[in-house]
Amino acid sequence: MKQNYDFDIEKIKNLSQEEKVSRQNNLDLFYDTGFPSKQVEDWKFTDLNLILNKNFEKISNEVHFEASKKFKAIENFEHNFIFLTNGKIISTNFDHEDKSKILIKDFNQEEVKNINPSNALTLLNSALSSGGFSLEITKDYKLKKPLIVYNCFSQDLKNKILNYKNSIKLNEGSKLTLIDYSDNNNQNNFIKNTVDTIFLDKNAVLKNVLIQNSESNGHFYKYIKGSLEGGSSYENYILSSGLKLNKIEIEINLNKDNSSCSIYSALNLLEEQHQEIKTRINHNSPNCKSYQKIKNVLNDKSKGIYQGKIFVEKVAQKTDAYQLSKALIVSDNAEFDAKPELEIYADDVKCSHGSTSGSIDSDAVHYLMTRGISKKEAVKLLINGFLNEVLEKITNNELKIFLEKILERQVNGH
Amino acid sequence: MLKITNLKATINEKLILKGLDLDIKPGEVHAIMGPNGSGKSTLANVLSGKYGYEIEGEIIFNGMDLNDLKIEERAQKGIFLAFQYPLEIPGVNTNNFLRTSLNSVRKARGEKELDTLTFLKLIKEKAKELNIDEKFLSRQLNVGFSGGEKKKNEILQMKLLEPKLSILDETDSGLDIDALRIVADGVNSYKNKKNAFLIITHYQRLLDYIKPDFIHVLSAGRIIKTGNADLGEQLEKTGYANLS
Repeated sequence: MKQNYDFDIEKIKNLSQEEKVSRQNNLDLFYDTGFPSKQVEDWKFTDLNLILNKNFEKISNEVHFEASKKFKAIENFEHNFIFLTNGKIISTNFDHEDKSKILIKDFNQEEVKNINPSNALTLLNSALSSGGFSLEITKDYKLKKPLIVYNCFSQDLKNKILNYKNSIKLNEGSKLTLIDYSDNNNQNNFIKNTVDTIFLDKNAVLKNVLIQNSESNGHFYKYIKGSLEGGSSYENYILSSGLKLNKIEIEINLNKDNSSCSIYSALNLLEEQHQEIKTRINHNSPNCKSYQKIKNVLNDKSKGIYQGKIFVEKVAQKTDAYQLSKALIVSDNAEFDAKPELEIYADDVKCSHGSTSGSIDSDAVHYLMTRGISKKEAVKLLINGFLNEVLEKITNNELKIFLEKILERQVNGH
Repeated sequence: MLKITNLKATINEKLILKGLDLDIKPGEVHAIMGPNGSGKSTLANVLSGKYGYEIEGEIIFNGMDLNDLKIEERAQKGIFLAFQYPLEIPGVNTNNFLRTSLNSVRKARGEKELDTLTFLKLIKEKAKELNIDEKFLSRQLNVGFSGGEKKKNEILQMKLLEPKLSILDETDSGLDIDALRIVADGVNSYKNKKNAFLIITHYQRLLDYIKPDFIHVLSAGRIIKTGNADLGEQLEKTGYANLS
C-alpha cells in the first residue's frame, strides 16, 4: 500500500547528534509497522490506518506557525493557566498562587524516553516530539484555583501531525486540579499525538479534566501514564465531545498502598465522531482502589468504544476495583463497543464490572412533552441527565458548575 | 372549553373508548368515576396526546381541533395532565426541569422567559403553598420521592404552568389524608371562573374536598350516567354494579 506519510527528523530544530540517532531509531521502529490497523488487538475497534488514509493526504511533521499572543480565556471562572499553541508554551499565569511553589518550564525532551515500545503512536511521539511542558508542585502546596492548560492550534495544520509530551509531578501532599482544555474549531484535518506522564508522590491529589471546547476535524490521540505513591489519588474526567476522532489511553500504576484512581467519562457523540477510551489500571500494591464510570451517548452515525482492563498483581490483596460502562444509543446507525477485562492474580480482592446499553425512555420523553417541552428539548434534557451523573461526586461547587455548563454545551452540540 | 363528541379510541387493536361525549365549560369541575378498565386513564392519555392510540370523533378545545396539536402544543395552549404515576427521571434536576417547562410554555404564549433568579423566587413561593420542602427542588426529578411527594410535585407543576384545563388522573391514589388535603387545597386555591377541571377517580374521597359540579360514570368506554355531587355519595353506597 502507498505510504500516506513522510516524517523527517531533520525538520526538528536544535537536536544534538546523539538525540537525532535515538529519534531516528524510534522512527525506524515506527516505520516497521506504520499506523496501527484493526489487526492490532489494541486498535481492533479503531482502525487508525484506514481512518487516516481516508481523511489525509501525505501527513508530515513540518510545522511553521506564527503564534498569536492572544487567546480567549474562560470568563467567570477563576483559574491559573498555561497557554500552548501547537504544544509550545506561549505564556503562563499563576497569579492566584504562591509562585515559588510552582515550577513550570518547557518539556525537557531527554526526560522521558519511550514509555511503551509496543505502541506505534508513542514510538512516533518519541521520534518527533517537540514542545510540551513540565510542571512540578512543591511538597504540601495545594493550589487555590484550578489550572487550565489552553491547547490552541494554528490554522495551517492541514495534513500535519503534532507530537508533544507533558510531565506533571506532584510532590508529597500537594494538590492540583488540571483542566486540559482543547480550544480549536479547526476545519482542517490534523493529528495531535501527545503523551502525559504523571507522578503523584505520597498523599498527592490530582484532578485531571479533559475538555474539547468545540467541534473540530482534529484527530487526537493521548497516552496518559500515571504512577501513584502511597495514599495518593488521581481522578480523571473526560468531557471531550466534538472531535472527529479521539482515542485516550490511560495507564495508571497504583504502586503503593492506599493509592486510588477514578476515571469518569461523559461523551455525547454526533455525526460521524469516533471516540475510544482505553484504560489499564495496574493494581501493583495492596489496599488500592480503582473506580471507572464510562458514559456514552451515541447519536447519528457516531461510534464509541470502551476497552477497560483491570490488572491485579499477586501482592495486591484487598484490591477494590470497579468499572461500569453505560451507553445510550439514540440512533440506529450509531455503534458502541465495550471490552471489559479483568486479570487477577491475588485471591482476596473485590472486582466488579458491568456494561449496559439502551435507548431513550419514550415514557420519559412523553412526560416531559406534556409539560410543554418539545421532543428535541426533552431528549436533550434526558441526555444531559444521563451524562451529568458522572459529575455527582465533585464537591467543589465552582468546578462543578463550570463542568455542568461545559457538558450542557456539548449536549447542545457546542 | 372542551367539547368531546363521539370519541372512540383504539390501542393494540382493542377498542377502549366507544363513543364518549363530554362538554366542559369554564369554571366547572367535572369528575369521571368508574370501575377498573372502564377507560378512565385512556381518556386522560388521549387528551394529553400520548402516542399509540387510534382516534375517531372530535375533541375541540377552545375552538382548536386537539388532534391537530402536538403533545407539547397542548400543554402550551393550556391543557395539563397530572399523572397517576408521575415518572422518575434520573439525572434531571427538578428545578431545571420546571424552569425549562415554564419557559417553553411562556415562550409559546408570547411571554418573556424567566431568568434563573426570578424563577427561583417564584418556585419557592409556589412550593411553600403546597408544603413542599425546597430540598426536593434540587433533587433529581421524582427520584426517591414518596407517592405523596410525587403527587404534590404534579400539583406544583399545574400551579406553575397555569393551565385552562387541568386533568387529574387518580391524583388521590397513594395519598395519606394530610397529603390529600394539601393537594385539594392546591386545586381549590387555583380554581376560578376561567379554568376548568376534569378529575378522574375511583373514590368519593377526593370529591369530599374538591366539590364537583358534575359526576359522570364511565363504564365500558361510554358515559352511562351523569349527575351532580350527590351521585358520588350514592355510588359509594351502592357501587357501580347496580347502575344501569
